[in-house]
Amino acid sequence: MIVTLVTGGNGLLGQAIAQAMLDSEPDAIVWLGVRQNRDRADTMSRSHPERCRCVDLDVTDPTDWKRAIAEMESTVGRIDVLVNNAGHAEDGLLATLDPESWSRVIAVNLDAVFHGCQAVLPGMIGRRFGRIVNISSLSALLAPPGQTHYAAAKAGVLGLTQSLSKEVARIGITVNAVCPGYIDTEALESLSTERRQAALASIPMRRLGRPEEVASVVRFLASREASYMTGASIKVDGGIF
Amino acid sequence: MDEVALRNEIRALVLETLMLSIPTEELTDERPLFGPEGLGLDSVDALQLVVAIDKKYGLKMTDQEVARATLRSVATLSEAVFRHRRPSQVSPNLNSQK
Repeated sequence: MIVTLVTGGNGLLGQAIAQAMLDSEPDAIVWLGVRQNRDRADTMSRSHPERCRCVDLDVTDPTDWKRAIAEMESTVGRIDVLVNNAGHAEDGLLATLDPESWSRVIAVNLDAVFHGCQAVLPGMIGRRFGRIVNISSLSALLAPPGQTHYAAAKAGVLGLTQSLSKEVARIGITVNAVCPGYIDTEALESLSTERRQAALASIPMRRLGRPEEVASVVRFLASREASYMTGASIKVDGGIF
Repeated sequence: MDEVALRNEIRALVLETLMLSIPTEELTDERPLFGPEGLGLDSVDALQLVVAIDKKYGLKMTDQEVARATLRSVATLSEAVFRHRRPSQVSPNLNSQK
């Protein structure tokens, strides 16, 4: 049995990751971290009443992490895999960027990863096993204009991933990152037709990625088969970078 | 549990948690756990010990200075656990080491 927590569990990517983890083992258990929107998460939970549950979680609040982890560990005893998937983007040029926008984006995309790792590590260290998969972004490697805060946060996630991976490597805990490119999720809904076409033109595969294509990489990194991989950043971008 | 038994339990916990392959008798009560003159443990080992002590005895070491002092040796660890379990009592034997 493998127990996974996926933050951002109501989003299309979070849903795909959760489904991949549910499919990975017959008795796999998945927690979906949700906040305001939870319609898809509730539907998935109802479809797998014994193996999939929702947990209220404000990823930016360390106190809420402690409460949620305690709730989950008291129910199923442990968390083997943490997928830090929750994300938030507010594109805008730096010259006019509202400092509050900067703070929000850093809080959800970077601070939350720190809080999440810190919350699950005591349990993982005690059991000498754990898998942490951080969802970064291609923007961390190839930052477009208008995403100074998002790109900085996602690049920060890669640094955190590398550093933490070295701290816990000998304890049986791996920490890796995935950098999705243009994936067909709600995150792209705000793109104008022109930007969407420009994005497609930049992808050597000439198509958007599917959430399932990112989820399968996450599932591998979360598996016992990925036992010698840690500190890695894997891009899943159709060949852009 | 008396002091001697507690020290032996903690000695075993240290060896098991850190998977140290040294004879038990080499981990004496006063042998420093950290530094070149001791076992040479590092900060990752300390992290594992902090988690193990919390899990087994409920003793939380959130302050780094306190943790550093507590993790100095099997004797200091035992003293901290002893005090945590019985706040009103201080082991005369352990206390005399100061």
